[in-house]
Amino acid sequence: MGRGGYFERYLRVDLGRPSAEHVPLDETTRRAVVGGVGLGALLLTRETPPGFDPLGPEAALVLAFGPLVGTPLTTSAKLAFVAKSPLTGRISDGLSSSSFAIAGKRAGLDAIVLVGEAAEPSIVLVDEEGAEVVPCPELWGRDFTISEASERLGKAYPEHRFAVIGVAGERLVRYAGIANEGRHAGRGGLGAVLGAKRVKAIGVRGSRPVPLADAEATLGIAKDLARRSLGPATEKYRALGTVANLSTFNRLAALPTRNFQASTFEEARKIEGEALHETRAQGRGSCKSCTIGCEHFFEVRPGQRPVKMEYENLFALGPLCGIGDPEVVLRASSACDELGIDTISAGGTIAFAMECAERGLFPAGPLAEEARDLRFGAGERMLVLLEDIARRRTPLGRLLAEGSRRAAEIVGGEAPSFAPHVKGMEIPGYEPRALQTMALGFAVGTRGADHNRSGAYEADFSGKVNRFEASEESAAHAVAAEDRAAVMDALILCKFLRRAMEDFFGESAEMLRAVTGLPFEAEELVRVGGRITLVRRLFNEREGWTPAEDTLPARFFEEKLPGGAAKGAGIDREGFARSIKAYHARRGLDERGFVPAEVARDMASLIRGKNR
Amino acid sequence: MVTIELYGVARLRAGREVIEVDARSLGDALVALGAACPALERVIVAGGRLAPGWLVALNGAQITADLATPLGEGDVVVLVSADAGG
Ligand code: SF4
Repeated sequence: MGRGGYFERYLRVDLGRPSAEHVPLDETTRRAVVGGVGLGALLLTRETPPGFDPLGPEAALVLAFGPLVGTPLTTSAKLAFVAKSPLTGRISDGLSSSSFAIAGKRAGLDAIVLVGEAAEPSIVLVDEEGAEVVPCPELWGRDFTISEASERLGKAYPEHRFAVIGVAGERLVRYAGIANEGRHAGRGGLGAVLGAKRVKAIGVRGSRPVPLADAEATLGIAKDLARRSLGPATEKYRALGTVANLSTFNRLAALPTRNFQASTFEEARKIEGEALHETRAQGRGSCKSCTIGCEHFFEVRPGQRPVKMEYENLFALGPLCGIGDPEVVLRASSACDELGIDTISAGGTIAFAMECAERGLFPAGPLAEEARDLRFGAGERMLVLLEDIARRRTPLGRLLAEGSRRAAEIVGGEAPSFAPHVKGMEIPGYEPRALQTMALGFAVGTRGADHNRSGAYEADFSGKVNRFEASEESAAHAVAAEDRAAVMDALILCKFLRRAMEDFFGESAEMLRAVTGLPFEAEELVRVGGRITLVRRLFNEREGWTPAEDTLPARFFEEKLPGGAAKGAGIDREGFARSIKAYHARRGLDERGFVPAEVARDMASLIRGKNR
Repeated sequence: MVTIELYGVARLRAGREVIEVDARSLGDALVALGAACPALERVIVAGGRLAPGWLVALNGAQITADLATPLGEGDVVVLVSADAGG
């Protein structure tokens, strides 16, 4: 056993046999990628053959912990779920919080890797000894909500903490998520990966304390960080939560509206965070081990259970679909959470379908028939469609369960030009034409359009760049934003803590030294951030990535924004291509964006690992 | 007159959505804002400057913290939190 932060092993569970074995995790690997998304990307690459089907038995789902989970550091109760996305065919990682992460780590594990396929619908129970695959016919195919399934599991196995898929995961909806204790690893269809393995839930139980190399120093840092986490830098999250973004984005004409046909929404006042707080606030919550508490709950109707709302749910199920009725948006968000589907992809795919319906693009027959009353603003219709998608129970539901990219290919005609995705992943709530450094971050993102793996919007909001132009300078900001996000997600700490840290890399290195006893330095962590991006890119290259994928849908180059403070803004194709080239150069990639052969050679032994 | 629009935390703290001030530059406008809304002092504006993490979007378009930015009749200063995005 080393000094701290790691248990130096992961658990590989073969669901087909079934069997479980502990696999050692060497110090080189830990130093190279720290943990979380970095460790997850490495283990995914090591545990899978090239060209595997993300929904086939060769697929792996990795649950990767960081070195900080289980320590007293605020916001550290997190883990990363990592797999090849059935939505994009590229790497996908989703972070989630809660006591599930702590219990999994305290089972004496730095990661859990599921491979193979269970013979029948099952749950996987993990503890300090290993894992058991237990058939669960009473839970599968029963149409339980996530809450109902979680409650049943909690009663049957009170000592375990569970991550669960909903009906959408069982039906292999390509953007089904994994839920645990009210949190969601939402993006990229990780729930479908689990569903394809016939695994309804993963239960973890553990009581081994996470070793601390220097307990006193760790406690000192934890106290200081907790104090700073309650300062002005996080006031927004505590006072309003991320729903506060909506009114500002609307004013800056950066609020995606009606499937990105506009960037201001005339009904924004009805659903903005400030209004929700004034009329519907029902209290606040937080992830386990978090001092900030950014979760805000809102009343749907008197007497009903309040619903947690975040900006991404609000924009995707509201303005993006032309819906300004707060009750409908709250109900839709709750439905997505209970069915187990990603709100951004659900909203994006439905908004795309609404535009197809308004333009009369669905082929005559069952699809056109079903889409007859589908229009922007049709809230009740959207609520029904969410259920149809999650259960794949109607022709339109089945089509949209495939995501906007595949749906557009089937609809044909001009549909692919306005399907709102990058690499198949629906675009989050940042209008690319109004925030063009973010647009670059979306285009080059390894998991597709992604505001969590690239916080490049910060440059757009900083005044350091012209937000209506992607430039070579944007490339520097995009690389820096990716590196920082990669390290936060490797540690893993919540991104909402970032502004409470003055010197992110320096402070992170200090935390790592205290917890692990390893001599991490700030400069080394910057390199770790870059390395994690390269590991992800190498995985994507192995799985067929081509440079043509690093782009945006044609709409963003061909249509200008129609109104508001960004009226007339569009993305210049040549200028954007130049900023992508500048990104490649900064990232150390070749002209076309591939990892250079000599770099790949240097990383080969890290990628391969010692264990296979 | 110049209009200052408040969103999010700034709106909550000030208890109002807009403030009209007489100002010829962004610096002037922020001094007037601090005087009109003491609840914003230190956290959002500090002695005529923007507190760390706060910027403005002039007429909702370009984002700046440059106090010398000239303002004219009818200009709108949108106060923006730098972590507007999440
Ligand atoms: S700030 Fe919010 S998302 Fe982050 S750990 Fe705390 S409650 Fe969870």
